Amino acid sequence: MSYRFRALIVFVISLLLTGSAIGQGSVVIDFYFPSATANDAEGIFQGYADAFQEENPGISINPVFTGSYTDTRNTILTELQGGGAGPDVAVMLSIDLYSFAEEGYIVPAQTFIDGMEDGEAFVADFFPALMSNGMDADGNVWSIPFQRSTPILYYNADLLAEAGYDSPPTNNAELVEIAQALTTEDRDGLLVPVAGGFPIWMYQSFAIAYGQNIVSEDPTQVFFNTPEAVAAVEFVRSLGTDLGVGPAGGAAWGDTPTAFLAGQAAMIYHTTGNLTRILRDADFEVGVWYLPSGPAGEDGTGYGAPTGGGNLYIFDDGSKSDAEMDAIWKWVTFLSSPEIQADWGATTGYIASNASAWETEPLASLAMEYPHYLVARDQLQHVGKEFSSYATITIQGIINGTLQSILTGEAEDAQAAMDAAQAQIDGILAEYR
Amino acid sequence: MSMNTPRRPLRSIAIPYLLVAPTLILVLMFNVLPAIRTVNDSLYKPARGLNSAGKPPQFVGVQNFQDLFDDSHYMGTRFTRSFRNTIIFALATVGIGVPLGLLLAILLNREQPLLGLWRFAVFYPSLLPLIGAASIWSFIFSDSIGLANAILKSVGHPGLNWLGDRNLVLASVVIVNIWKQAGYFMIFFLAGLQNIPRDLYEAAALDGADSLQQFAYLTLPLLRRTLLFVIVVSFIFAFQTVEQLQALGEGGPADSANLLLYLIFQNISERRNWGYVNAMTIILIGVVLTFTLSNFLLFERDEKDS
Repeated sequence: MSYRFRALIVFVISLLLTGSAIGQGSVVIDFYFPSATANDAEGIFQGYADAFQEENPGISINPVFTGSYTDTRNTILTELQGGGAGPDVAVMLSIDLYSFAEEGYIVPAQTFIDGMEDGEAFVADFFPALMSNGMDADGNVWSIPFQRSTPILYYNADLLAEAGYDSPPTNNAELVEIAQALTTEDRDGLLVPVAGGFPIWMYQSFAIAYGQNIVSEDPTQVFFNTPEAVAAVEFVRSLGTDLGVGPAGGAAWGDTPTAFLAGQAAMIYHTTGNLTRILRDADFEVGVWYLPSGPAGEDGTGYGAPTGGGNLYIFDDGSKSDAEMDAIWKWVTFLSSPEIQADWGATTGYIASNASAWETEPLASLAMEYPHYLVARDQLQHVGKEFSSYATITIQGIINGTLQSILTGEAEDAQAAMDAAQAQIDGILAEYR
Repeated sequence: MSMNTPRRPLRSIAIPYLLVAPTLILVLMFNVLPAIRTVNDSLYKPARGLNSAGKPPQFVGVQNFQDLFDDSHYMGTRFTRSFRNTIIFALATVGIGVPLGLLLAILLNREQPLLGLWRFAVFYPSLLPLIGAASIWSFIFSDSIGLANAILKSVGHPGLNWLGDRNLVLASVVIVNIWKQAGYFMIFFLAGLQNIPRDLYEAAALDGADSLQQFAYLTLPLLRRTLLFVIVVSFIFAFQTVEQLQALGEGGPADSANLLLYLIFQNISERRNWGYVNAMTIILIGVVLTFTLSNFLLFERDEKDS
């Protein structure tokens, strides 16, 4: 008995000693990350952390899984607003930039990039479209692309072939024609997931295709009531009403890929984040293509989709030492390196965010086998900035609410509803001009 | 001995206070102080705009409350809808759920085959975690692949957009809530019913009272205490609804099914809205208090009358 007790004490003391020995001279980085997919994000990140620690013995990474994107943002805001330490590095939506910059919680990555020997080449390797949400109006880089996505068109190639179409629609007119041809009593021709709490992302695709992204470089400007913005939402609404190719009010986000896989929808708009799952689960030939162009595209341009997904943010209230900041930047560049991006993109289906990642294994061979991934990548040359402004959360709420009331038919006059929303938005943004 | 005597009363005065002190301190820290702070903060707007981080909030009096009831204000649009929905939701879930619980209790209070199975079938929804149950319902209500529409389509109906139709979505949430709670209320009513002596009914039957009269003049008055408890609790549950909305369309489309507590939750993350969040909290507490007190008063008055 007493032997056991003594052994326990020796064990505990030795544990404490080794623990403090490890702690000495090493920098610990708290890394918060969300997961919007069903993949084993925790396991994957632990693997990256282990690989990183092996290369950098003085730095230890503490990966913390923080739920959804919204949970992650709220967790971090709550910690920091309550005077807590918060993370050192976190993955948050690329559109969260101004929410955090406004509060003074994050620091621009530009400072670190300027200190790099090959800073320009580092930035140039990222797809320019994926940098747009991470930069402020003066061109300073704040956050680094990490897990990015964009909506694309998925189509059931077997159904299209049966109806005599051997290629996907490239503009809205063809989209409507094919969707109508493929709509039957128990099948929708086209599902666009604009029902539910977040229609703004899909809506932006149409707005861009109609020639007006609702957001600009300037975070105090929003263009929600222009003729193009109104025409875009009226087109989306007509899909479920006059054109009758999908449910009135649009489809729900989560149901859309399920219905597509079950053969109950011939074409869907959905995120590239679902590409891996859809290719794996479909028992028919899946095709993907750029989102069709709107009227703006009659001259050959006018494809349109917003970017989406998460960036790496660096947190500092000015109290962190140079050694800590160096370690933080090392971790950020590690995660955004072509090697990790190629692995992360191949495992999850997110678009690897730098060009050289696509020439790196395992992504290079995956893209050879499934050219679908290249479609998602190549569409990046046509995509626009995702909605982000000052007071992003509140203004996004106004836009989502307005879109919902137009799409469900509550607000019949889209122009009037969007004028009212624009007035509310301008009232808020006036405080920042 | 004689030196100890004067101390004794002091000690016996102090001991009860010492014993309640831990609870009292917790209540002060986590209930009273936050409540006072909420009232205070509802009269301020946080600093907003460029370089506002760290700046003190600005005193605005009751401006936050005025904005909430201004339909053209961005928060007012959402608040007025959610406020109306909250009242409708509470009246509907209580008005349907409580009588349904009572009806189920009466039906399952008599000897019949498989009684335990019936009772369990009605009670089990309240054993499920709320968010899980609501997620199951979100599949049932799903537009193209859901069970509800599959049933409707099998009888020739084109199907309903349960969570997408602004006129239907609040009703869908009410259905889930009633399904979840009716069995729970039934348990209280069952307990109450079994406390009523059987010979009362036998006497009433001898006097020629039919079953409807027995229900109106015996069962209901004798269940008064249970009824009050269940009604008060179900109102409070109704005002606390959050999880169902998280799974059933997040209060949308366009806040057609949003409820106050969920709206508060949705607006907490942006600092600019903290004044509104506090003001909404006070209004919500006011509504809950009004409902609870009026229930007590109504039943109390009834009690004195009878």
